[in-house]
Amino acid sequence: MTLAAIAEKDFQDAVRSRGMLALVALFSLLVAVFAYVVRPTGQGEQFATEALLSFAVGPFLVTTLVPLVGVVVGYNAVSGERESGSLKLLLSLPHSRADVVFGKVIGRGAALALAVLTGFLLPALVLFGLAQTGALATFNVGAFLGYTVFAAVLGVVFVAIAVGCSAAAETQRRALIGGVAIFVLFVVLWGFVTGQLLDAASGLIDPLPVSQQQVRVFLRVSNPISGVELLSSAFLGEQLFTGESVNRQISAVSMLVFWTIAPPLVGLWKFDSDDL
Amino acid sequence: MTAIELRGVTKEFADVTAVRGLDLTVEEGEVYGFLGPNGAGKSTTIDMVLDLVRPTEGTVRVLGQDATADGVAIRRRTGVLPDGFAVYDRLSGRKHVEFAVRSKEADDDPDALLDRVGILDDADRKAGGYSKGMRQRLALAMALAGDPDLLILDEPSSGLDPAGAKEMREIVRAEADRGATVFFSSHILEQVEAVCDRVGILREGELVAEDSVEGLREAVGGEETLEIAIAGGDADGASDAAVDAVRDLDGVSRVDRDGDALVVSCADGAKTRVIGALEDAGVAVADFHTREASLEDLFLAYTEGDAPGEGAGEEPEEVSR
Repeated sequence: MTLAAIAEKDFQDAVRSRGMLALVALFSLLVAVFAYVVRPTGQGEQFATEALLSFAVGPFLVTTLVPLVGVVVGYNAVSGERESGSLKLLLSLPHSRADVVFGKVIGRGAALALAVLTGFLLPALVLFGLAQTGALATFNVGAFLGYTVFAAVLGVVFVAIAVGCSAAAETQRRALIGGVAIFVLFVVLWGFVTGQLLDAASGLIDPLPVSQQQVRVFLRVSNPISGVELLSSAFLGEQLFTGESVNRQISAVSMLVFWTIAPPLVGLWKFDSDDL
Repeated sequence: MTAIELRGVTKEFADVTAVRGLDLTVEEGEVYGFLGPNGAGKSTTIDMVLDLVRPTEGTVRVLGQDATADGVAIRRRTGVLPDGFAVYDRLSGRKHVEFAVRSKEADDDPDALLDRVGILDDADRKAGGYSKGMRQRLALAMALAGDPDLLILDEPSSGLDPAGAKEMREIVRAEADRGATVFFSSHILEQVEAVCDRVGILREGELVAEDSVEGLREAVGGEETLEIAIAGGDADGASDAAVDAVRDLDGVSRVDRDGDALVVSCADGAKTRVIGALEDAGVAVADFHTREASLEDLFLAYTEGDAPGEGAGEEPEEVSR
């Protein structure tokens, strides 16, 4: 099993990059700033961990910055090595091209997850310390940790999509264009694009035993960002895999799994047939 | 058992046919030098052996297995020093070798490999700071991991100084003595002469010659070229009769006038008779010297069309065996 060897090497390579340190610093800084902004102002008001996460960290940090960073970490994973020539060194060793693609997903995904966890948890330590000394009334450690895991999962999904794109791209330039397209599609245009698709396909959907509305909801949670939003808010509301949204939550989880596996597979299909 | 076997292999890229109808066999245990000018298709051929590039036509078998279908199994028994590769800038030399050892599921000591190629002192430095020669040594250390049955070295001496190139040859020799098959490419003939059992010359995607270095030398004549300066500074001073007399001698294949000299292609040992015949015909010989067909001439004869290297004395029809 050489997948593990590639994943470990790629992880070591990634965590040694300066960008990694910058990322941890950026995440820590932003979480700290948001924590300061939502700090309790009135007497007796409690520090609302959930409010920090769902109204500040969530919309600004998790749903835009984390996908962006995931794309940046992943888009040059294979194409960069192909252009520099280190791929020749890699494929001189007994690795299959599938090992390369999925090793990259795991290695870079792990590196990004580490950056997110460290970046979120450094300020959390401070908040936790403040809560212990009584400067803060409460700090919900469980909620914060859990939310951080959701943020890391979202990052990993975007790494996987970007690595798939990178494997399919013959040049760094194309990989970059693909990375930008991924970001724009999922972060900016998802509702518009899926709406258009839905309208165009309405004739196909009508005979099926599902309503337009059901398809619309499914398409919404198909976006990994909406999926993670749904799951994390259910988690913060202590309704994870229970309550009325349970079906949508299950859809969201299956789509997250889909986005982690399908893009690398499609990329591999192209990469496997290329002359390098 | 053959280490590498190409049958009728053609590789067409969008704009060029890099290799056409290539048949090539490398026997187990031999050291095979794969020669050709830049752009002859050497790297494409090696890339097909390594399954980086798939042939348009034909079959490639390595260590008895299909290059594409069994690539991973083949590379587990193969060490490769690729051409035009890059290292992982942020990882140390030792990390590179550890990665190679782990990938091959071998149990080599990375430091021993680094020591063998002479970069143990730099093992903890990031490979991004290595010189071209050190990167070449690093990739060789990675190739040697796991005692491969087959070593494929693409332009192994590039970036190495003469001492480094010599060390490289010694390692090739040692690996061959261990029983490994070594297949390496070069565009410099002198590098292969010292180590190769057999040499193949590739030109415009086709194998134009394949033999031992001595065999190739014989193929282009096994002759020496005698340059004879005529007293008086004019080759016309030698009468046609004198030239004919030399041409009629045993072992002389051709005689040309070249300015103030006669250029005679003849077998080893015919030299004295040539000089004697000239003096008998009344021609004053001022000076003479002999020239063996150099390896460079030999190489050029195979790789540069029909025109034999000037003054080397090879005949084209002898060249194309």
